[in-house]
Amino acid sequence: MRRHWLRIFAGLLLWLPLTLHAASEAPYSRIVTLDWGLAETLIGIGVTPLAVADLTNYRRWVGEPQMPPQVHNLGLRSEPNLELLTQLKPDLILITPQFEAARPLLERIAPVKSLAIYRPDSDPLQTAEEITRELAELTGHQPQAQQLVDDFERQLARLRGKLAGQSLPPFYLVSFIDERHVRVYGEHNLFSAVLARLGQENAWHAGDNYWGYAQAGVEQLADNPDAALIYFAPLPLNTEQQLAGSKLWQQMPFVQQGRVYAFPPTWQLGGLLAAQRFMGLFEEALSDE
Amino acid sequence: MNSAALQPPSRLWLAALLLLCIGAALFSLHQQMPLAQWGALIWQPELNNLDQLLVYYSWLPRLCMAVLCGGALGLAGVLMQQVLRNPLASPTTLGVANGAQLALALATLYAPTLLVAREWLALLGGGLATLLVFALARRRGLSPLTLILAGLVVSLLLGAVNVMLMLLQPQGLAALFIWSAGSLSQNNWDGVLFLLPRLAAALLLIGWLVRPLRLLELDDSGARSLGVSLAKLRLLGLAVAVFMTACVVSSVGVIGFIGLAAPAIARLLGARTLQQRLLWAPLLGAALLLLTDFGVQYFAGNSSVLLPTGGVTALLGAPLLLWLIPRLRLPAGRPQLQPATQLPRLQREQPLLLLMALLLLGAAALALLFGLGPQGWSWVLDPQVLQWRIPRILGAAGAGLMLGLAGSLLQRLTGNPMASPELMGISAGAAMGLMLLLFIWIGAPLWARLGMGFLGALITLLIIISFARRHAYSPDRLLLVGIAIAALFDAVKMLVLSLNDPRGQSVLSWLSGSTYFVELPTALMAIACGVALLLLCLPLARWLTLLPLGESTPRSLGVPMRAARLSIMLAAAMLTAAATLLVGPLSFVGLMAPHMARMLGFHHARGQLLASALIGALLMVIADWLGRNILFPDQLPAGLLAALVGGVYLIWGLGRRR
Repeated sequence: MRRHWLRIFAGLLLWLPLTLHAASEAPYSRIVTLDWGLAETLIGIGVTPLAVADLTNYRRWVGEPQMPPQVHNLGLRSEPNLELLTQLKPDLILITPQFEAARPLLERIAPVKSLAIYRPDSDPLQTAEEITRELAELTGHQPQAQQLVDDFERQLARLRGKLAGQSLPPFYLVSFIDERHVRVYGEHNLFSAVLARLGQENAWHAGDNYWGYAQAGVEQLADNPDAALIYFAPLPLNTEQQLAGSKLWQQMPFVQQGRVYAFPPTWQLGGLLAAQRFMGLFEEALSDE
Repeated sequence: MNSAALQPPSRLWLAALLLLCIGAALFSLHQQMPLAQWGALIWQPELNNLDQLLVYYSWLPRLCMAVLCGGALGLAGVLMQQVLRNPLASPTTLGVANGAQLALALATLYAPTLLVAREWLALLGGGLATLLVFALARRRGLSPLTLILAGLVVSLLLGAVNVMLMLLQPQGLAALFIWSAGSLSQNNWDGVLFLLPRLAAALLLIGWLVRPLRLLELDDSGARSLGVSLAKLRLLGLAVAVFMTACVVSSVGVIGFIGLAAPAIARLLGARTLQQRLLWAPLLGAALLLLTDFGVQYFAGNSSVLLPTGGVTALLGAPLLLWLIPRLRLPAGRPQLQPATQLPRLQREQPLLLLMALLLLGAAALALLFGLGPQGWSWVLDPQVLQWRIPRILGAAGAGLMLGLAGSLLQRLTGNPMASPELMGISAGAAMGLMLLLFIWIGAPLWARLGMGFLGALITLLIIISFARRHAYSPDRLLLVGIAIAALFDAVKMLVLSLNDPRGQSVLSWLSGSTYFVELPTALMAIACGVALLLLCLPLARWLTLLPLGESTPRSLGVPMRAARLSIMLAAAMLTAAATLLVGPLSFVGLMAPHMARMLGFHHARGQLLASALIGALLMVIADWLGRNILFPDQLPAGLLAALVGGVYLIWGLGRRR
C-alpha cells in the first residue's frame, strides 16, 4: 500500500522539474547568492540581492557593504534552505565552485551560475573585475559596473603614485585565530594582489592554499624582521589582552617599531568592493603616521 | 623510593628514552638557531636577537609545555586507573577532556566573561562529564568495560554538541577547531606559569594519597577492614585526576590518548606497584608528547598547514589501543543495558507492530505537510515545496530503519545490549572511507560514495572479526576494538577540521548526518534496501534467538556458529554502510531503537527486529523534522539531532534505578 503511494509520488516528482521555469533570459532581477563576495559585488553595482546565505555571520565578518534589511536569510551556506528558496521564486542563483555539490538541487529551482574569484593560478583582482562585469551583464547594470571598475582603477593609480616615492616595508596580512595562531594571507589572496598592484610586497612567502591563506603560529611571523603587520577584526575574545602580556609579541619587530595596523572586518574572500575597501583602509593607515 | 622502584631493565629503558628526548631536542634546537649562538642563549640572552628570542619565548616554553602536559596526563591516567581499578580509564576514554573542552567552547561563544577562571570552568565541564559517565555506568557496579562504554557514549554526545556549535559559528570557532585537537604552540611563558603551580598542588595531594591509594589494590573488604573510607578516597583521587585534565585542556586543548598510553606502556615495561607507575607514567607521558611534538614541528614547522599535536597523538594512540587490547587482562563483567521500566513480555506482537507502523506513517505525513516557512508555522500542500521534503523524510526513515535493524542484529550477535553500529566503530569506518573520498574527489557520484563507504565499513568489520576470532568472539573485546576505531575516526575528523579548509565545512555538515543532499532515487533505494535486508534477516531469527545464550547452548542445538556469526555481521555492515551514507555516522539510533523495542516488551528475535526497524525509522523522521524547523532558516542535520536526543534518552533511561 505504502510503496504504491510512493511510486505515484515519485512519478509526479520526476516530472515536475521538467515543467518548471522555461529558461528565462537576462537581465535577471530576483537574484540569490550563497557567496558573500558575490553578494557584496552585487551591492556594489547597485543590485539588491533577494536573499543571501548566512546573513547573521555576514554582518559580523563582512560588515561593509551593509545588506539592506529586506534581504532574506537563506540559512547556512553549506545547506541553503531549499524550501525557503523555492518560495522566494528567484530567477537566478549564484554560487561559487565550493557549493557545486548543491547545484543539482538548486537547478530545480532556478538557473544556477557558478562564478569563482579564486581559481588556481589566476590573479584574484583580475578575476574580481571580470566577475563584476559578468554580474553586470546578468543584471543589466553595465554602466554601474564600469563606474565601479573605473573608480577602483583611478583610486589604485592615485595611491600607487602617492606611494611611489616612499619605501614601505613588506606587509604580513593576518586574522587572529587565537592569541597563538593566525591565518596569514599569501600570494593567492585578493588583498595580496592589491598590494602587488600598489607596488608593495607581501611578507609571507611560505606558501598558501587554494583560497590564498595559510595557518601559522604567531611566532612564525618573526621570520621577516623588516615587515609590518596588518590584522583584520573581529579579534577572538581576550586576544588583545593576551597579546599585550606576551613577551615574544612585544619583541616582535613590527610591534617594537610600531608597525601594526588594525583593520575593521573586511571579507578576505571578497570581490572588487572588498579590494577597494582594503585599499582605502591601507591608505588611511599609512597617512595616520 | 626511586632506586628501589626502578628495576635494572627499567633503568636501561629510562636511559634510552632520556637520550632519545635529548637528541631530538638538540636536533630541533639546531634547526631553530645556529650552534654559535647557543652559548649566548645560556649566558646572556639578547633581547634584540630574534633567533634567541624565538627560542626563549616560543621553542623553550613549548618544550616545557609538552613535558608538563604529557606528565600531567600520564599521572591523571594512573590515578584514574588505580581509583577505578580499570586499565582502560583515562582522561579521554572517560569523556573528561571532551567535557572540559565543551565547557570552554560554550563559554567562548555565550558567556566570555567566565573565561577569566577557565581552569575552573574546564573543571566544571570535565566534572559534569564524569558524573554523566558514572550515572550511565553505576547500575553495573562500575565494571571496567561498562564505564568505558559509558565514556564513549558521553564523548559522542558532547562531540555532537561541539559539532553543532561549529556548524552554526564557522568562523568564530576556527579557534576551537585547533583547540579541540590540542595545539602546543606557545609565544610566552604564561601557559607554563599557569600550569606549574596547579600541577604542583595536585602533585602534593597525590603524594599525600599514595599510601591509602595502594590499599585499593586489595579487594574492597580488605581495604575496608583497614579503616579506609573507600568512597571518599575514590572521589578525592578522581577529583585530582579530573582537575589535572581540566588544567591541561584549558591551557592547550584536548591531547588524545597520552593519559591512556603512558600508564599502559609503564605497566608493560614492568612497573607493577603504584609508586612505580606514579613515577613512570608521567615520565613516559612527557617523553611521548615531547617526541610527538618534535615530530610535528619538524614535519609541519614551516608549511602552510598547522598540525595540532593533540590530534596527532590521538591518531597514534588508536593503533596503540588496538595493540594493547589482546594484552589486557580485564576483570569479567559484561555491560548491561536493561530498560529501566519494562512492560511485560508481549503475548501477541502483531497488534503493537501494526500500531507502530501506523504511527510511523502518521509522523511522516505530519513531517511532510507541517513546518516553518517564510510566514511562520504553516501547513503546506505546494508540490514545489514538498519535493524537497519527501526525499529527506524517506531518506531519514530508510536510514533509521537500517540503523535500528543493524543495532538489533549486533546486540543479538554479541549478547551485549550496548553493541551498536555507532559504538562498534562500523559507522566510523564507513565515514572515514567517505571523508577520504570528499577530499580526493569533490562531487563524486553516488556509486563511488556508496563503494567507498562500503569499503570503509568492510575494512572495519574485517579488523573487528580478526580480533574477535582470536578471542573466540568475546563480546568485550569486540566492543573494545570498536572503541579504538571510533577514537581513530575522531582523531582523523579533528585533524581534517583543524586544517580549516573551506571544504571542511561540507565535510562537517555531512558528518553530522544531514539528509539535505538525499535525492529521491537515493531515498527510495534506501527504503527498498532496508526493507529487503529486513526480509533477509527474518529467517535468521532462530540463530538470533540462540546466539545470546553463549557459546555451548547454540552449538549443542546445531547452530553453525561461524556461518551464523559471519552472515549476521555482513548484514549489519551492509546496513550500517548504507545508513551512514545517508545520515552520517553520528546518531544513537542503532543503540536506542533496539533498547526501546525491548522496553516495549518485544523479546522474540523476529518481533524485536521488526520493532527496532520501525522505531529507528520513526526516530529519524522526528529528528529530521526537528532539524528542519528548530533554527529555521538554518537547517540542522538529522543525525546530529538524533544523537542529541538519543544521548539524553540514554542517560535518562540508564541512570534510573529499577
